[in-house]
Amino acid sequence: MPTKLEVRELSAWYGDRQALYDVSIDLTDRATTAIIGPSGCGKTTFLRCLNRLHEEAPGARVAGAIRLDGEDLGAADVVSVRCRVGMVFQKPNPFPNMSVFENVAAGLRLLGVRRREELDQGVAEALVHAGLWEEVEHQLDAPGSSLSGGQQQRLCIARALAVRPEVLLMDEPCSALDPIATAKVEALLARLKSEYAVVVVTHNLAQARRISDTTAFFYLGKVVEVGPTARLFGSPAEKLTENYVNGRFG
Amino acid sequence: MDADVGPATERRRSTDRRLRSLLRRGLAFRLGVTAVGVGLVVVFVGLVVLLVGGASASIARFGPGFLAGTAWDVPRGIFGAWPAVAGTLITSALALLLAVPVAFGVALFASEIAPRWLRAPLAYFVDLGAAVPSVVYGFWALVVLVPFLYGSVDPSLERLSGGAAPFASGSGETNVLAAGVVLAVMIIPTIAAISREALRAVPHELREGALGIGATRWEATRMAVLGPAAPGLVGAVVLGLGRAIGETIAVAFVIGNIYQVQGSLLARGSTIPSWLVNGFNESYGLGRSSLYELAAILLVISVVVNLGARVLVRRFERGARLRPRGARAPIAAPPPREPGTPLGTPAWFARHDAARSARLRRRHGVQLLVVVLAVGAVAVAAWPLVSLIDTAAVNGGAAIVRPSFYTSAPPPSCGIGQTSCPLGGIGPEIEGTLVMVGLAAAVALPLGILGGIYLSEYARRRFSRTVGLLVDVLLGVPTILIGIFVFSVFLAYDRPDDQSAFAGAAALGVLMMPIVVRATELALRSVPTSVREGALALGFPRHRVTLRVVLGSCRSALVTGCLLAVMRAAGETAALVLTAGTSLYWITDLRAPVGALAPFIYDALMVYTNSNYETDAWGAALVLLLMMAVVSLAARLAVRAPDAQGSV
Repeated sequence: MPTKLEVRELSAWYGDRQALYDVSIDLTDRATTAIIGPSGCGKTTFLRCLNRLHEEAPGARVAGAIRLDGEDLGAADVVSVRCRVGMVFQKPNPFPNMSVFENVAAGLRLLGVRRREELDQGVAEALVHAGLWEEVEHQLDAPGSSLSGGQQQRLCIARALAVRPEVLLMDEPCSALDPIATAKVEALLARLKSEYAVVVVTHNLAQARRISDTTAFFYLGKVVEVGPTARLFGSPAEKLTENYVNGRFG
Repeated sequence: MDADVGPATERRRSTDRRLRSLLRRGLAFRLGVTAVGVGLVVVFVGLVVLLVGGASASIARFGPGFLAGTAWDVPRGIFGAWPAVAGTLITSALALLLAVPVAFGVALFASEIAPRWLRAPLAYFVDLGAAVPSVVYGFWALVVLVPFLYGSVDPSLERLSGGAAPFASGSGETNVLAAGVVLAVMIIPTIAAISREALRAVPHELREGALGIGATRWEATRMAVLGPAAPGLVGAVVLGLGRAIGETIAVAFVIGNIYQVQGSLLARGSTIPSWLVNGFNESYGLGRSSLYELAAILLVISVVVNLGARVLVRRFERGARLRPRGARAPIAAPPPREPGTPLGTPAWFARHDAARSARLRRRHGVQLLVVVLAVGAVAVAAWPLVSLIDTAAVNGGAAIVRPSFYTSAPPPSCGIGQTSCPLGGIGPEIEGTLVMVGLAAAVALPLGILGGIYLSEYARRRFSRTVGLLVDVLLGVPTILIGIFVFSVFLAYDRPDDQSAFAGAAALGVLMMPIVVRATELALRSVPTSVREGALALGFPRHRVTLRVVLGSCRSALVTGCLLAVMRAAGETAALVLTAGTSLYWITDLRAPVGALAPFIYDALMVYTNSNYETDAWGAALVLLLMMAVVSLAARLAVRAPDAQGSV
């Protein structure tokens, strides 16, 4: 599989505190990469660097390079970067004053899509894609916040998919969901990876094992080990990784 | 029997006694806080009864025609409300029109745009602007704003409109436009402060959600922040409107105080509060009764605005969630697609690709424009405050560094134009402020805290909802009405000394009560239930949970609320002009008229017009400003100090 995102010597700071140290990693297209590691290891910061959301934080600073299909993201327009690299957050965050339809249409409207039929089509495709269509087909005008937690999360996925991203970033997408909703989102992830480069941050090792092709283990802001998921969990090269995946610390 | 009482029984009996005494105390506490709740109702009912009672002669004489009457003819005994009502509505509408865009710009800047390090100082200055006493704003307006408007703005407006209404040539510096502008200046910080809170309260995840799908910062604000913040923004505007409607002193300084309705904003006029403060002390008979009726009309307006705000805010809370759109035609489900087959490129995507850079430039342009506008709003809002502090420092700076300024009385009458005036001070005024605010605080702070406890901890039923509503209403009642109310009470029961330090303190107390009640209630409500349950589970009786644990864990918010109330009282003018009277001398009797800092500024300009107290008035203004600056800072620091670190 070709490399979609090339990360080279990425360091990130919040004010004086350095959160990432020289992270270099290749993220494969049409595959799921899981980022694991104990809390505070920089995995969320890493994810937020990939669509330059990190720089919205107060005092944030980055060094290093991220290339999307060889194009330097740091030099690109930040708004287009975020269209191409979509993000789904830990807590479902549909816009509370918008309907289901408007939530998904929001990104399309930003891009200047105005025609009714194009909006309708785009929204429907995104909802189908996110596996939510059947559940909300008849309540497109209901408030986005009236859906259940799992539905809200899939709505947020649909919202991100609507603008046709190439990479999908997910920050602990299931940590706020119950097991059934989690299963649905995981099934969705399994389908999505055939079309996108998916990067999932998770603290749930079992989940990382289930959904990912490649796993990267972060510790104290550094990449300790990257490898095919089965290999990383089965026979880790590093002692630290072994201790972590076997639950000796967390 | 007593002979065979063992130690265990003895212990049980003593525990029983302790329990009973605790229960009694709990009951007494409960009755106490409920009494304060009832007291608030009594105050409001008393306000209504006394205003309407005072107005009865006027109501009987003029009937509903009073509202439409345009004359205020004391010799002939003909009175009508229309010029004052119209003036109130026009100046408030004008103020709102000017203030809302600026205030929203400031709030947007403070919440969404300003770099992190700038946010705290900015919030402080906004708070300070909201805390500056209205008499200081009025003084500044009279000296700086009014000449500026008269010199530069009025002529251009006249030219632009060709001398036609609503900018027909006026009759001098003071006019309706000036009143509208000074009101706008005063309510901008109020609206901005609350709007900023409303914007800040929107969870950060929503902004990120919008940024994450490629929104610019302004687009993120528009999509994800403005909707959820709408109820708060509406509330802020209505609060500003309420303040504009009730503002007395600053308007009285700059509006010209002519009782007529004219077609031009450049003509002199009056508002209900300004007309009340100008005429109330000298009025008698039917004229005074008509002033009472004006006051009652003002009360009705302020209550209507207040209740309207509640309805509006509630509608926004429900409605803002979803902007209703027209019925949509059902969307056909897209054809099923094998997983893995590409989505294909829709027409819009290709089109968007072609137009990408032009559209992006435009979106970034809008973002830049919003930032520029917001910065402009901050500049517009900052000018009055900066100019005010500067003017006060220049004119009063020399006075406040002179020790005798604090220890001596105002100089005996010193005519304008007289070259060497003896240097005086504002000692008696400081004394009067301290005494009245102290007396008021000694009563109103404890009672207010009890009232807040009642609303937060004990009240569960319809009556408590009524009390809560009344606290809201009382918070919005113009202070001039509180002045008239307290004046009437003392007039009825304390005949020879209707204006006194006691009356002034009572007015300040009534003013402070609802502020403290609301602050306490909010502070207590912010304490999580788990804290209460934790203490109850240990077997603490209810009243001790409230007093020790709950109050203890929100001390800083409580202190802030009390500080704000004291600050408001120290800067209050309108209510004191009616209740405390005027005096330039040290206090000898609390039942005699007394001077105070804020009213002294008013009196220096409006009453002692033959003396030159301007420098001393600026000194007093500067003292008030410094006081507000220090107290605002203390309040801000108190909020930031973590409560948990103190012992409970």
